[in-house]
Amino acid sequence: MTAVVAAIGRSGARRLSVLGGLARFALGAFRAAARLTRAGRWVTLRVLINQIRFTALQAIGLVTFLAAILSFLVISQTVRQLGRLGATDLIGTVIVVAVIRELGPLLTALIVVSRSGTAIAAEMATNRVMGEVTALEAMGIDPYIYLVLPRMLGAIVSVAALMIVFDGVALASGYFGAALSGMHFQRYTNIVLTTLSAKDVWLTVAKGVVFGSAVALFPSYHGLAVKAGPTEIPQAVTRGVVATIVAIFISSALFVVVAAG
Amino acid sequence: MSPRTSQEIRAAWMAQALKWGRPDAAPLAFIAIDLRDRPDHPDHRFDLTVAPGTTVVAIGDEDSGVGDLGGFALGLRQPVSGRAEVFGARIGQLPYYDLLLFRRRIGYHPVGDGLLQNLSLRDNVALPLRFASDHRQAEVDDRVNQLVDDFRLRAVATLRPAAANEEDRRRAAMARALALDPDLVVLEAPFDGLTGRAAQDLLDKVSRRDDGSRRAVFATVQDLVPSVRRMVDRVVKVADGSAVEEKP
Repeated sequence: MTAVVAAIGRSGARRLSVLGGLARFALGAFRAAARLTRAGRWVTLRVLINQIRFTALQAIGLVTFLAAILSFLVISQTVRQLGRLGATDLIGTVIVVAVIRELGPLLTALIVVSRSGTAIAAEMATNRVMGEVTALEAMGIDPYIYLVLPRMLGAIVSVAALMIVFDGVALASGYFGAALSGMHFQRYTNIVLTTLSAKDVWLTVAKGVVFGSAVALFPSYHGLAVKAGPTEIPQAVTRGVVATIVAIFISSALFVVVAAG
Repeated sequence: MSPRTSQEIRAAWMAQALKWGRPDAAPLAFIAIDLRDRPDHPDHRFDLTVAPGTTVVAIGDEDSGVGDLGGFALGLRQPVSGRAEVFGARIGQLPYYDLLLFRRRIGYHPVGDGLLQNLSLRDNVALPLRFASDHRQAEVDDRVNQLVDDFRLRAVATLRPAAANEEDRRRAAMARALALDPDLVVLEAPFDGLTGRAAQDLLDKVSRRDDGSRRAVFATVQDLVPSVRRMVDRVVKVADGSAVEEKP
């Protein structure tokens, strides 16, 4: 019995220690912004633009496709079922709450994690294994500034932008789903606009920042934690991506609690 | 407010880096360092001082511990016992961000080359200027152009390290180490795989500062060709954890 409690305690302590490490890592990344040099700012901006190109622009196709299919399926089925009950006005709530507020940010973040989170973790782990992180530190360059900061800013901007794309496409595609059940454009627009509030916009922005930070921070942290050698890289990628997905789901649940409060 | 000149900018951040250490201290000193796995004998300690403007080479076998000296000098690793002092500062004891700032006074060439694989050779040379100094972009470009020409990298400057040959990679790594015109340069296995002539050329460039004076250079090697040995002020052999003076 004591052994079981001790094992649980050890596991809990290990997880808490990882959380502490992550918190320090996140703080370090944010503080790095204040130490950027003049020329470094330009280079970081260039890296940031590249990051946005890889993370956001190259993912637009996939996000558009998934948003269109998801929204079409959800709305067409929901309108049909609500129509039987004579409650088609509730479609606005389904679109805004289920698709725009919850599924949109969640799916967008998952797409970015699967594309860019894996890339960030693998790149960081490779940098560590190849001795590039040590080389940066030996030159007096803070690895947070060069490696983590541009990726984090890029992920935040990209996730927020892709969420907006997702929401726009989902609203348009939702109309086609609703139109299949005979709903007119004017009515669809009225229902959506009546249900949509400023709170939804702020929640989307906040989720963009939180999910975007998670997409960059967790893979960076686990990638840079590699010590042994190249064989540890795939494990670091897995750890980084799994941790990001868990963090995104937990923070999504927390957003629901905060929004309800 | 009028814009600061390049010299003023350099003076400002050098003043920050000069916060630590003593102005009269030797550029580099290893004091009673234990280079062996078992710190069991007080007579086998490594002591070595690199005087200003001199080139000192520590030579030793793979398992002699000579390969650890560069890491100790940069504060990247801590010796089991003893200490490394750079310009009088115990580098291993500086807080992390102070250490980063302090390292800007030291040029470093790690084993291999330590070049970042996703950057061109030119961008690798520019890296310390962009992120570890407060130079303007135009000043960074001027300095990089000067280094690229000095180290004869013009034709290969846009190549990534993987696409360049070993000598060019080494030249780029050396140019990067000199980007901030440091007072001290630490080189790890800098001549491996180079011809004697190329090694001579690189050592000559590394040991001269921008103003023509000589800078302190400390190199760790496993072997030293005679032509390079002639250019060195001191050679010490690392044997059984101690420094044994050899004839240059």
